Amino acid sequence: MKIILKLQDNYDIQANLFSFVIHFGLFIFMLVSIQWQMKDVYYSEVELWDAMPMQVKSQPVANKKKSADIKKLTPKAIKKQKQLKINEDAEIKLKKKRKAEKKAKIKRVQKQALKQEKIEQLQKKLLEQEKIEQLQKKLLEQEKIKEIQKKLLEQEKLDKLKESILDQDVKKEVRIAVEADQELFAGSNTGELNKFKAMIQQKIYQNVNKQLCGLDLVELEFEIQLMPTGELLGEPKLTQSSKIESCDQALERAILQSQPLPVPKDAKLFSKLKNLKLKFSPNAYTE
Amino acid sequence: MLNHIHRFIFFITLITLSLSSHSIEVIEILGGKASQIPIAITPFNEEIRTMGQVTDKKNADLQKMHKVIANDLERSGLFTSLDTSGISTIPDSDILINFSNWSALQAQFLVVGKIITIQNRLITRWSLIDIYKEKTVLSMEFSGSKKQYRGIAHKISDLIYKKLTGSPGVFHTRITFVKKKSEKIYGLYVADYDGFNQRAIVNSSQPILSARWSPDGEKIAYVSFEKKKPVIYVQDLNTGKRVLVANFKGNNSAPAWSPDSKKLAIVLTYSANSQIYIINSDGSGIKQLMRTRSINTEPAWSPDGKEIFFSSDRGGNPQIYKVNVDGVSDVNRVTFEGKSNLSPSLSPDGKLLLFLTQDNGKFRVAVQNLLSNQVLKLTKGPHDESPVFSPNGHMVLFTYKDYGKTTKIGTVSINGLKVTPLRVGSEAIQESSWGPITSN
Repeated sequence: MKIILKLQDNYDIQANLFSFVIHFGLFIFMLVSIQWQMKDVYYSEVELWDAMPMQVKSQPVANKKKSADIKKLTPKAIKKQKQLKINEDAEIKLKKKRKAEKKAKIKRVQKQALKQEKIEQLQKKLLEQEKIEQLQKKLLEQEKIKEIQKKLLEQEKLDKLKESILDQDVKKEVRIAVEADQELFAGSNTGELNKFKAMIQQKIYQNVNKQLCGLDLVELEFEIQLMPTGELLGEPKLTQSSKIESCDQALERAILQSQPLPVPKDAKLFSKLKNLKLKFSPNAYTE
Repeated sequence: MLNHIHRFIFFITLITLSLSSHSIEVIEILGGKASQIPIAITPFNEEIRTMGQVTDKKNADLQKMHKVIANDLERSGLFTSLDTSGISTIPDSDILINFSNWSALQAQFLVVGKIITIQNRLITRWSLIDIYKEKTVLSMEFSGSKKQYRGIAHKISDLIYKKLTGSPGVFHTRITFVKKKSEKIYGLYVADYDGFNQRAIVNSSQPILSARWSPDGEKIAYVSFEKKKPVIYVQDLNTGKRVLVANFKGNNSAPAWSPDSKKLAIVLTYSANSQIYIINSDGSGIKQLMRTRSINTEPAWSPDGKEIFFSSDRGGNPQIYKVNVDGVSDVNRVTFEGKSNLSPSLSPDGKLLLFLTQDNGKFRVAVQNLLSNQVLKLTKGPHDESPVFSPNGHMVLFTYKDYGKTTKIGTVSINGLKVTPLRVGSEAIQESSWGPITSN
């Protein structure tokens, strides 16, 4: 269950990430598009501002020339001129004020118009955004559905894979068993291995001197390695002692005395008997 | 959930496959058929040194030394001595052994030796060799007078026996028996376990019965009719001094030593029928073991000294029972096979019960495993008597009589394979007993 939950969690995280990325992308896209439109409007305003200063600039240039001429006149005249100039300046200032007021009015109007436009644009954008979002939602839902479908498909695939692996294992096991049988019995009956085991058992049994093992129920284990001739490869390895030295030695001698042990000529069958564990219970009440 | 099950099955399959690929075939062998260790004991070559020179004049007795060893080992029933006459070159030491010769003879072990005699003394150098492992197991040198050659040979047998069976050998022990020299002359004899070197310690005109060695080997208790009725004496073997231990009203018989050699269980007919009593070995402190209307006789102590086995007719026919030495516990029957069973004695480890069993009119020596209650009849009968264990419990000394012939004495191995008569003369032999293992 935990594994499934983990898988689902992973898929949820992936879906959330995907939707977040989509949203973020769309948001960036929207931001970029809004800025572009605003700049366009701003340029139209600049054009209006360029026309007004041109008119204002032409007058100061003429006044400078007159001021140069005034320097050469008498003080009275200068006073008069000054008076005139003051008057003119006042008029100019008034004019300028009026112009400025007009400009301010125009600006206000323009600003209001711009604001309205902006509001309208924003409203449009909001609408568009809503639409986009709705679309995105739809897309996301579709994507989710697709993802879920994908997941389902993947799970189905995984299940199929596992089943196929299991099937393969079972088949493999069956095949191994069959091969083992074939190897073990080399085309003969299944008792061939047991036959040799019984022959080995009987031969060693003939040589076991249990009198050297006391009267208690003792158990011993030896491991032996056989050569294809039936002779021992190395000495028997005592893996479980009877704790009676004479008994351990007697059974070791019984193994050694039993050489050569009966072994099959078939190499595959022999390989199964090459390494043997011999379990002795010399005082078992079987006889 | 299915995935889990699939995974589980998958891993189990993997584990099973990995295990099966490293499996090893197991063969179980229960019991065993072999009973004797084949051993080759070669003649010990004699080298005589006289005045610094080596001569060829050989002592006939010393030439038998290897035979003494072979007979000892064979008598135990655990060894079979191989004929070495077919081997051309007999080694006299463990150097340059042709192992293939001896393995061809099916020998598992080889004993080689050499005797060096200097005037009346001899030195014996001998070795025990493992043929399968091609190595020397024991290598020793003994010296003594020429007359001690049998004793030296028995010592060698003891050491070989101990090495290969794990139990002490009893070839250097002594036995007692009663020899009926004539109708009016009875002698209590002590001899080597094989009947050699016998000497009389008691001569009497009256019958002598039930001679028993004390476990410490110092004394012998026996029943004598010197008082015109059976009485019990204890005789010190070192001093020859004897003590009349039981001379109570009625018959005094069947003495049995306690394991500590301080007490005797005896049988008195003091109050009508035979009853068992415990008495100190000096004749003091007599105490009745139990009071019953039935006959209780032939007591034998368990090795731990806590129980007494005895024969009784309380069930009708004689059978063997046991009771605690304090006599207050319940009496338990021990033998159930056969019409009647009597003359019990216990092996030194307390695991085997030796007795006489009546089987189709024949009295045979039998041994019962007290763990499994399996009974093995060791002898054929028909008139076997007085079975006693050797001190290691591997052999039994008993008397026997063929139809119409005199009684003789012999040993039987507890596997029943080897019955060997003792050559102690042509006279009738009775009432044998086996002495303990001593350090001498």
